[in-house]
This record gives sequence, structure tokens and C-alpha cells, in this order.
Amino acid sequence: MVNVLKGVLVECDPAMKQFLLHLDEKNALGRKFVMQDLDDTHLFISADIVDLLQEKIDDLFDQLTFPVQQK
Amino acid sequence: MAAAGMKKLECKDLHGYLKTLGASLLDELYGRPATCLAVFRELTDLAKHYVMRLLFLEQAVPQAVVGSWVVSGNHGEHLRAVSQLSDLRVWHEHQISGGLAGWILSPTFRANLRTALLGGGKPWFSVVQLPPDKHAKDVAALDTYSLERWEVLLNFIVGSGEAQVSKDIMEILIKSGLMKSEEGSLHPTITPAGFQFLLMDTPSQVWYIILQYLDTMQSRGLNLVEALQFLFQISFSTLGKDYPTDGMSDSMQQFLQHLRELGLVNQRKRKSGRFYPTRLAIHLASGISDVEKDFHKEGYLVCESNYRIYAYTDSELQVALIGLFSEILYRFPNLVVANLTRDSVQEAVVRGITSEQILHFLRVNAHPKALHRVPIVPPTISDQIRLWELERDRLTFTEGVLYNQFLSQPDFEMLRNYAKDLGVLLWENNSKRHMVVSKAGHDDVKRYWKTIRKGNS
Repeated sequence: MVNVLKGVLVECDPAMKQFLLHLDEKNALGRKFVMQDLDDTHLFISADIVDLLQEKIDDLFDQLTFPVQQK
Repeated sequence: MAAAGMKKLECKDLHGYLKTLGASLLDELYGRPATCLAVFRELTDLAKHYVMRLLFLEQAVPQAVVGSWVVSGNHGEHLRAVSQLSDLRVWHEHQISGGLAGWILSPTFRANLRTALLGGGKPWFSVVQLPPDKHAKDVAALDTYSLERWEVLLNFIVGSGEAQVSKDIMEILIKSGLMKSEEGSLHPTITPAGFQFLLMDTPSQVWYIILQYLDTMQSRGLNLVEALQFLFQISFSTLGKDYPTDGMSDSMQQFLQHLRELGLVNQRKRKSGRFYPTRLAIHLASGISDVEKDFHKEGYLVCESNYRIYAYTDSELQVALIGLFSEILYRFPNLVVANLTRDSVQEAVVRGITSEQILHFLRVNAHPKALHRVPIVPPTISDQIRLWELERDRLTFTEGVLYNQFLSQPDFEMLRNYAKDLGVLLWENNSKRHMVVSKAGHDDVKRYWKTIRKGNS
């Protein structure tokens, strides 16, 4: 028996992967989208979330960074 | 993410451009010694060596003999030199009696390169003796002139001030994608490609515009070969000397006027019968291969490791350029202080400017005092700019199909090897028996799986 899943393979660095898992857990995009946690740098996610993810990811990531510039 | 799919502004070097010309055009170009010498000058050392060895031979030399001139360790360089010479049609294949393949230099190229090296032949410029020019220009005046003209063009692209260019040049800017004209607006506006263009150093900019100009020449009924030959000739002229314009055809006169507008040549009056090539034109034919810094103006940027940029300038254009990728903090009559921030750099990246372009800009425009530092831009800054750029595309998406829950290891390995052989395997995990196959390969792999299953049962 073989199970077959259609989706999108995401390749990223480990920190970014944890961030995606965090988004998935917190339902930040309104629903779950991670189908399979493959390894440190790969995730398998559902195809229909990609557009929304690309749109939101920069905003969400911006919220996690803090400027350290002095004026 | 908006930057995805935006193409980087490409700037071919001289050979890259010549290769795009057809065979007949190239052969016609080699009809002048100046062109041959300019092409020869830009060849790799090994290719130069081959040409020199073959230059005074009237017959073909077997390819195996040419190959034996290089020790086997450097075979890669040999292949590069061979393809370079063939692509430029400097030499071509020739059957030697006995069925051996040989190389022979193109006869026109051979004859004209000999003339260029040994002298003789017709003079490159018209021989008319010009009376001494009452309004003679010295080198410094020519440099300021060319710089001023070029800044007019850049100012026009930025859209600042009153800068105006002729209709022909404006068309070239639009056609090259540096600017676009919007419905109902008279003045075209800058595109992402235009932003990239602004951050290039001056010689690359000149070269880029000239290439675009040459591309449109044929459609406007001008003679491309003549123009190229003229450009090559200019590249061998002396800065600060005047050259006569008579004997030039009408289309060449028109070309000269465009060069004059761009600041590549200086003419006091359209009918003055003489022109002065400027530094921009003289350095043009060497392409962009050996450009490290702008040769005609002093840098003005100091970049410190605390992300501050100090720009000693009062030019609107330069301030606008710095503003493309940094936050302007203070402005004084001759000094601008700006801050590189994550937001400002990422904004630039969204517009299609790459981190490399920003760093290149900071390096080539560095203040003479800052040039003593090694490296010119502090490593913390260059690394951080790159990291900020990478932050924007940290995810790569590939559509695919995940196979899991294999019952046995041999099943998994068989299917995985099949997908690997087809080149459609994206990812695999042997111990968990997971594999991801690209969408295009899914049908093949599925069919294969069905046939093995049938075979097993």
C-alpha cells in the first residue's frame, strides 16, 4: 500500500520552518496547512494556501523583527 | 515577494554583444583594422596566443595541432578559447587534404589585424588637416562636459528637475524598459529596471545605453556596421585631440549628434567640422570587462559600520540615488547623512534592486579617504545587506506529490530509484520511506508503481 498526497514542497531554513509550524499551530492563516513535517528544512503543505502564505509571510515576519537603529 | 519573477538588468560585454550579430554582419565589421584590433584586445590570453601563432599562416592548421599547444591540465581553457574564436568568427573550420579538420583565420580578419599591428593601409580617420581650433578643449573641460551631459540623462530618468532629452533618446529609454510612458502623461516614468540602471557605474550605463541604441538602429534605417566601426575607431583616438567630421555619411552625422547629446563626443557647433571624443567614448569599446571604478569623478560616500552613510555631495541626483536604498536623516549644504535600515533596503529589493547592486554602488562611489580602508564597505554592512535581501525569499515552493506509507523497503527503493533516474525526485527520506516527486513526474511514477504491483501479485 502506498499513500499519495498532492501538495507543495517547501524548502527553507530551520528557523523559518519553525515559524511556519508556529503559524500552523496558532491558526494564523485561518486554518491548518502543514500536511507533513519532512525534516529540518522541508515541509509539505497544501497547495491552495501558497498564495495566501506568500502574501502574509512578510507582514507576519515583520512583526517579529525589531529595528535597533539609533536616530 | 513582489520581486520574484523580475529579471535582473543584464549588461552584455563586448563579445557577448558581437556574438548576437549575424555572421554576415560580423564579417563586414572585420573589414576595418580598428574593429579587428578592438576585438583582438578583448580576447582571452590563450585565444590571443592562437591568433598570433596563426596570423602569418596562409593555410589551415589541423585542430589536433592547435590542441597540442596546451598542456592537458588546461584543456578547459583551450575549449573556451576555441569556442570564443569560433563564436566571433575570427576563425572557422576548414578541411585539410587527408580529411583532417583544421582551423583557419578568417581572411578579412587576418588581413586587417596585420594592417592594424604592422601599419599601412588607409588612415583610420579622414586625413584632412584641421586648422588649429580657436575654441580648443582641454581634457578637464571634456571630462566636465561629458559628465554634465550624462547627468542630464540620469536626471531625466529620475524625473527630477528640468532635465530634457531628445525624442530619439527618450524612445530608446522607453524601448529598453528603463522608463515607461503612461496613458495621458507626457513625461515617462521610471521602471524597476531603471532603478537598477541608476545604481550601475557610469561606464556600464554608457555601454548599456549604446547597446540599446545599436539595437534600434536597423529599425530606424541607419547603418549598424558603419556605426560600430565608428565606435571602434573612436576607442583608439586620443583624448583632447580634435578629429574632422567630413567624409561622414548622413546617417553617421545623425549618429554623431546622438553621441553628442549623450556626452560621448563634444562639438561646439553642429557644423563646426570637428569633434572631440570624450573619455566615455574612448573607454566604450573595451566593454564593461575591466571596470572597477568610475574613472572620471571622485567618490563621495563614506559608509560606516554603524549603518550610517555620509555623502559629501550637493547634487540632487546623487541624493536621490542614495535615497533609493537608505533613509535620509540630515541634510546640510554639502553633506547628507543617511541610515541603512532593514526597511529601506527591503524596499529597494522590492523595487528590483539587488544587494549586490547596492554594495557595488557604495564601493565605486566611495570617498577617496574611504578607499584606503580594506574592504571599502565594512563587512558587517555588506553581510547585513545581503541577509536583508535573503530574508525576502526564504521559502522556495515546488509543487509536488508526497508518497508515504510504503509497506516494504524494497518497494520504496525501487520506486525512488525509478523517480531518481527520471530526474523527477525532489526529496527523499530513506528511513521514514517518504519521497516527493515533482508534479510533472507524478503520472509516470504512478504508472510504474501500478505495473510493479501487478507483477508482484
